[in-house]
Amino acid sequence: MSLQRSRRAIPYLLMAPGLLWLLLFFVIPNVQMLVFSLSEGTLRTGFTTPPEVWDIENYTGSVSKFSSNFSNSIVYGALATILCFLIGYPLAYAIAFKGGRWKNLLLFLVIAPFFTSFLIRTISWKIILGNDGPVLAIVRDLLHLVPANFSIIGSPLAVVGGLTYQFLPFMVLPLYVSIEKVDRRLIEAAKDLYAGPWRRGGLVAGAIFGAFALVALQVGLGYGAFIGEDAAPAAVVAAALVGAVAGGLVGAFLISQSFIRVTFPLSLPGVFAASILTFIPAIGDYVNPQLLGSPKTQMVGNVIQGRFLDQNDYPIAAALAFLLMAGILVAIFLYARLLGTEELTGGTA
Amino acid sequence: MTDLDQRLTALPVTRRVFLQGSTMAGVAAFLAACGGGSTPSPTGQASVTPTEGASAEPTAAAIEGPLNFANWPAYIDLTEDETSSPTLVDFEAKHGITVNYQEEIEANEDFYATIAPQLGAGLDTGWDIIVLTDYMAARVVRAGWIEEISADATPTAHANVRDELRGLDWDPDMKFHFPWQSGATGVGYNVVSTGRELTKVEDLFDPAFNGKATLLSGYPDTFSLVGLMLKAKGQIANLPAEMTYEDAQAVHDYLKPFVDDGHIRAFTGNEYLQDFGSGDTWVAFVWSGDLASSGGEDDRFIFPEEGSIIWTDNMLIPKGAQHKAAAEAMIDFVYDVANAARLAAWIYYISPVKGAGEEIAKTDEELASNELLFPPAEIAAKMYPQMALEDEDDVQWADLAADLEGT
Repeated sequence: MSLQRSRRAIPYLLMAPGLLWLLLFFVIPNVQMLVFSLSEGTLRTGFTTPPEVWDIENYTGSVSKFSSNFSNSIVYGALATILCFLIGYPLAYAIAFKGGRWKNLLLFLVIAPFFTSFLIRTISWKIILGNDGPVLAIVRDLLHLVPANFSIIGSPLAVVGGLTYQFLPFMVLPLYVSIEKVDRRLIEAAKDLYAGPWRRGGLVAGAIFGAFALVALQVGLGYGAFIGEDAAPAAVVAAALVGAVAGGLVGAFLISQSFIRVTFPLSLPGVFAASILTFIPAIGDYVNPQLLGSPKTQMVGNVIQGRFLDQNDYPIAAALAFLLMAGILVAIFLYARLLGTEELTGGTA
Repeated sequence: MTDLDQRLTALPVTRRVFLQGSTMAGVAAFLAACGGGSTPSPTGQASVTPTEGASAEPTAAAIEGPLNFANWPAYIDLTEDETSSPTLVDFEAKHGITVNYQEEIEANEDFYATIAPQLGAGLDTGWDIIVLTDYMAARVVRAGWIEEISADATPTAHANVRDELRGLDWDPDMKFHFPWQSGATGVGYNVVSTGRELTKVEDLFDPAFNGKATLLSGYPDTFSLVGLMLKAKGQIANLPAEMTYEDAQAVHDYLKPFVDDGHIRAFTGNEYLQDFGSGDTWVAFVWSGDLASSGGEDDRFIFPEEGSIIWTDNMLIPKGAQHKAAAEAMIDFVYDVANAARLAAWIYYISPVKGAGEEIAKTDEELASNELLFPPAEIAAKMYPQMALEDEDDVQWADLAADLEGT
């Protein structure tokens, strides 16, 4: 009897270190933050905390005052996640299916940048995208695609690009794990059942997606501001056409029906986990907008950092941190509903 | 490489590094190294062990050590091999105590955030001397967090501090602070990129430099310089130190369109050095000395026609300091003319000590005529201090600056 009881205690014992950790470093600081977020004052003038004051204004005021920062965070975080997916999925697919004996080396290369400091890597991007960097040397000096005063640094695209680069491994690794698990025999079976190239569907889907992606890229670059209001609509149309043709070709010839009907659905749990793992750190980042952005591309993380460290305005900073947390939770909830909860738990069915 | 070059490259590269952390400092050091020649190790701590034997005779009133000294990176003289500081070694020999010198301060606000909780609670911060810029020094003095410096223990300092540094509003009788070094905020530019010589603050807003201009983050430097420009244009009436909130609002309103149309690309700390290097910044508000020491050969620093901003980093003894007498001894020590000259010749900022210039001139004429160290009279006449705001105003001004910076 006692043996059985102690057996029942084992799971709790195993969980104890993790729970204690969460209590100490998640729950308690969050309670503290919650108290701060409803307080008044700054580090210098002193704080008035609940229950003397319940300053809801910290929340309501922050939403309107920093709405542009919030929208920057959400848009850049989402764009970076989508870009990571577009780059990461083919990469993970190639490593899992075609990697052969190079698999481990390729996976190592994916995480190799992590061996360098985060800041150094972001500053490297400053140099690459900078005025005297290789990108502008080709695009501006060689191809004359952009005017002489064109600058990538400071544009939303630079921030999104930095985020994409920074969080790509978070996308690739979970994707790799779930693609690797896909049963090859199912793909063979699909081929036996006449799954060929995804001709018509691929053409349509690829064209729509390609057009959208190139237009988004152009808008993200702020290209219109450089060529003037009048030329902007034409540039958008041109970008959409180029994107549609390229996307359509890729969809029609490179994507197979077995991928659409078998491989991709089976890898959805990985897609879900990977996109969450990318989106959450991306939305809260403050280094990329600081180093690669401009005053107009600052994200919520920058506001929180500034309020905490420069202005010592803990209440606003805490309220913003909570709003960000709530926003992420809501987004994940919606996303889970969209993809289905089975995928969230790794597909128990 | 000449002696002077060596000193130039040894300038405070990482002073006011904008992001915390040694990585940035490492990058700056790396960039400085690319800029040519020897570089100090800015993150390295010039902590010095006592030289035994030399400390034969401690002064009559025995001073207790160790002296815990928090300062900005690369803000003290170093020996040729950069392993120790002659000033600190001599001080230790003279008083027979050790100095625990740490390059701990990279931004006023950040350092303030680390000491304010202890000071607010009446606890010892662990530091005996800290070095803060005027506005922040004024703030902690007003908060009553600073020990009074004994006049009896600091006769040299009282005698030698330059007259224009005396009589400040927040500490008229030098009871709480003594300047460590002063420097200027002015306009830096790359003469090749701009294609012309610049002379004024207003030149920064030339449409030709759209997207290639940066200002300094926070209000003390940027609002002061733009304030001087608006005063020269007759749009506001007050000098930086007397600027009202309405004046600050005027500065904000002047800058806002330039931020919105992307003319001003960023608000920076001294990472503007990298942006000058990569060609992304052509013209910017910068701290004197930085470009001369770590910039390219086409990078220039000017004291603008409208005037420039002079700031001072001040030695303060935090309340509850364990080794107050040692701190006072250090303050007095660095105000000795010979010691001050040695310090200034190395760190390349403006010495607060009377006669340091003459002392340097004895050995190095060229250095003594460098206008970064010794601004000539016509420039000095147009150097104005920053505003020192009350806490309530500071919050409002910081909000204005944050609005421009997009945060």
